[in-house]
Amino acid sequence: MLYFKRFSQILVFFIGLTVVLRGLSLAFMPKNNVEDSGMEAVRANGILGEKANTIDVVVIGDSESFCSISPMEIWNKTGYTVYVCGSNSQPVNYSLKMLKRAFTNQKPKIVILETNTIFRNVGLKNTVLASLGETFSIFDYNDGWKKIGIKDMFKKASYTYTDDKKGYGYSSVIRPSKKTEYMFPTEEREKIASTNYHLIEKIKDICDDNGAKLIFLSTPSTINWNYSRHNSVKDLSENLGCEYIDMNLINDEIKIDWTKDTRDKGDHLNHTGAVKASEYLSRYLEESKLLSDHRNDNNYKSWNELYKRYLKQMEGKHL
Amino acid sequence: MLTLNTFFRLFFLLGILPCVIVLYGIVPQKARRWVLLLSSYFVFWAFSGKLIVYLLFSTLSVHHFGLWLSGIQMEEQQLLSGLSKDEKKSVKKRSKNKQYAVIFLAVVIHIGLLLILKYSAFFATNINTLLGVMGSDYSLEVPKYILPIGISFYTLQAVSYIVDVYRKKIQADTNLLRLAMFMSFFPQILEGPICRYSDTADTLWQAPKLKYENFLLGLQRIVFGIFKKLVIADRLNLFIQNVFNDYRQYDGFIITVGVALYTLQLYAEFSGTMDLVIGSGQIFGITLPENFKRPFFSSSISEFWKRWHITLGAWFKDYIFYPLSMSGPLKKLTAKSRKKLGNHFGPLISGSIALFCVWLCNGLWHGPAWHYIFFGMYHFAFILLGNIFDPYFSRLAAFCRINRRALPYRCFQIVRTTVLVCIGELFFRSNGLKAGMIMFKKMITEFSLKSLADGTVFKLGIDAYDLIIVLISTGILFFVGLLQENGVSIRDGIMKKNIVARFAIYYAVIAFIVVFGAYGINYLPVDPMYANF
Repeated sequence: MLYFKRFSQILVFFIGLTVVLRGLSLAFMPKNNVEDSGMEAVRANGILGEKANTIDVVVIGDSESFCSISPMEIWNKTGYTVYVCGSNSQPVNYSLKMLKRAFTNQKPKIVILETNTIFRNVGLKNTVLASLGETFSIFDYNDGWKKIGIKDMFKKASYTYTDDKKGYGYSSVIRPSKKTEYMFPTEEREKIASTNYHLIEKIKDICDDNGAKLIFLSTPSTINWNYSRHNSVKDLSENLGCEYIDMNLINDEIKIDWTKDTRDKGDHLNHTGAVKASEYLSRYLEESKLLSDHRNDNNYKSWNELYKRYLKQMEGKHL
Repeated sequence: MLTLNTFFRLFFLLGILPCVIVLYGIVPQKARRWVLLLSSYFVFWAFSGKLIVYLLFSTLSVHHFGLWLSGIQMEEQQLLSGLSKDEKKSVKKRSKNKQYAVIFLAVVIHIGLLLILKYSAFFATNINTLLGVMGSDYSLEVPKYILPIGISFYTLQAVSYIVDVYRKKIQADTNLLRLAMFMSFFPQILEGPICRYSDTADTLWQAPKLKYENFLLGLQRIVFGIFKKLVIADRLNLFIQNVFNDYRQYDGFIITVGVALYTLQLYAEFSGTMDLVIGSGQIFGITLPENFKRPFFSSSISEFWKRWHITLGAWFKDYIFYPLSMSGPLKKLTAKSRKKLGNHFGPLISGSIALFCVWLCNGLWHGPAWHYIFFGMYHFAFILLGNIFDPYFSRLAAFCRINRRALPYRCFQIVRTTVLVCIGELFFRSNGLKAGMIMFKKMITEFSLKSLADGTVFKLGIDAYDLIIVLISTGILFFVGLLQENGVSIRDGIMKKNIVARFAIYYAVIAFIVVFGAYGINYLPVDPMYANF
């Protein structure tokens, strides 16, 4: 009887604790996808403010993704809507989170995972924390109390912010790379951490469940990419039955000029580099024949307007 | 490899500790001690990897020396029977000499190992500096050793065991595993408390049954420790790092705030870890000694050290202060000086010599650096001054009709002690003695409220919101401390409440930690501050 009483007490305690943590999560979660509301990685989370079911391609990954892919360039070439949900130093667990967020409001047909994030070891602790944060978002937004008032706590979330460049991180800075040859063939394979591997499998499962095609993409980087990483991702993509594009091996087609197309000595592409990478990606997406051109679709009128604004901005910045 | 650097990692709190508790709870009584012993070695391995061999060596060595001493003592007892008074004296003297030799060897090995690993680089560097000053080209190679976590703690435990066997306070343990458990019990290996064999060894070996009440009380204590660490210590870390690393850029006000907050951080981190350690022990029914007794309610530096890191102070008192003050030369000195200087100053001279040794060791124990030695000497100086002038202050207070027991005077004493402690902690935390001196000078000569007025102070890692949370949390600590000072046991009070009130208190505390804890990408958690000492 005593054991039953104690067991019941513990059970009641944990039920109550769940309610408390859920309540706190609801109160402290960002009520809008802007910085003032406590939202992190605002540019990437701009996808939450996009009109429902209008995004064809979602890109996830670390800074390599948002430095290399300009959705407005792809729009101009193909009429496909791409959103880059990549953020600085994004670990795979956050890529997974971003993907889940994207699927709440969008039905992308293609998901592109920029592969540099695969080699950022997430570790068991962060995976546990991330799962905890998914169930109880208070663990992710515990600093939110600094930015919100009492009234905000009881508001319903409404995401209004959208990014004009659809997640692209523009930079016209040129800092040439001394290294131009970096893909030296080898049979070596850089190890993918087991937690990361498991998270990528999860990403694949979510894509499958939502009818999206997962593509691995390695964007050009003389600092972050090499042949042993290529080999590992190639094995991974074959194991999961995914397509894999390594832009580092097809520079004859993309024509990245490492004296002009990088913003930080080969680590990331700058705008001219991103234009070249996006051009290649446009052709690739066209060849997949999975997507349709929305340029003449009235529902996507805002994209045409945004492109005009984008062009003006780019011209202005390049003057 | 699994690695740990603090008990506050989720891997420990949500992984290792619950697993050990469950295993401990489900295995039969005789196997419980094995669960504790194996878990302790596993945790030590997770902290120190292959450096676990040092712990194994210390345990084997101390076990051997204990038995050796015990053998000599038993032999003495056997030889004494049926002997004349003179013969007995002679046997006792021989036995004593043998025991001295054994204990000397044991202390040399254990303290020597600690000296080599921890202090050889410091000594070599200083000898090289001295040689350089003297114009010599010769220099010693500065060795680099990796210290096993907790060596300063378990070495002191090892020495206390050997000395206690010698003093016949305890019997040498024939059971190597029981001794291994005493040396390695996992909650205490990182930052203590420094236990005595007579306090914990038997209970650990008995491995008491898990009790629901102990479990709840232990959890309460752990949660309170997490509160101190996450809400106070970690929140202040970035600010303190900035102030102490770039002190040249800041004025006296910022440095003063940094010093005060560092003292608070050190207390919150160390006492928070102790709460976690003692709470973990309590879950298993093991009562570990307290290391803190509300130190900031102390009215003198001497009292402060009876309330702060209590087990270290007690160790120094029992194994350095008393043996030295009771040694032949100091006893003679006391007798002589008493005749010449009277009953107050007479014993004070030999007592002060012993006290000097204690504080030199205390400073050095904290680390092989001059600022730690200065830290020790700083406290020695204030305790010595207190000992010298206390009778005069008493007379002066009586003359001025000041009641030294009245609340206002006691408050004055508490504030004065806290200020002196904070200044001591400035040298303790500073990046070297010179840096400490410059910071202290700036506190006095460059003090201005400009950085408060223009808001610079809030741009160094903590903002006004952080400061409010720290103030509220410190207020909670103060309130809890005040109640405890007045004999109120909050934990007993909570346990006596009905389930609704009890759960409401638990939820409120957990919610406070979850919302106001400094964790996540915006914060830099503080490493265990006493782990490297």
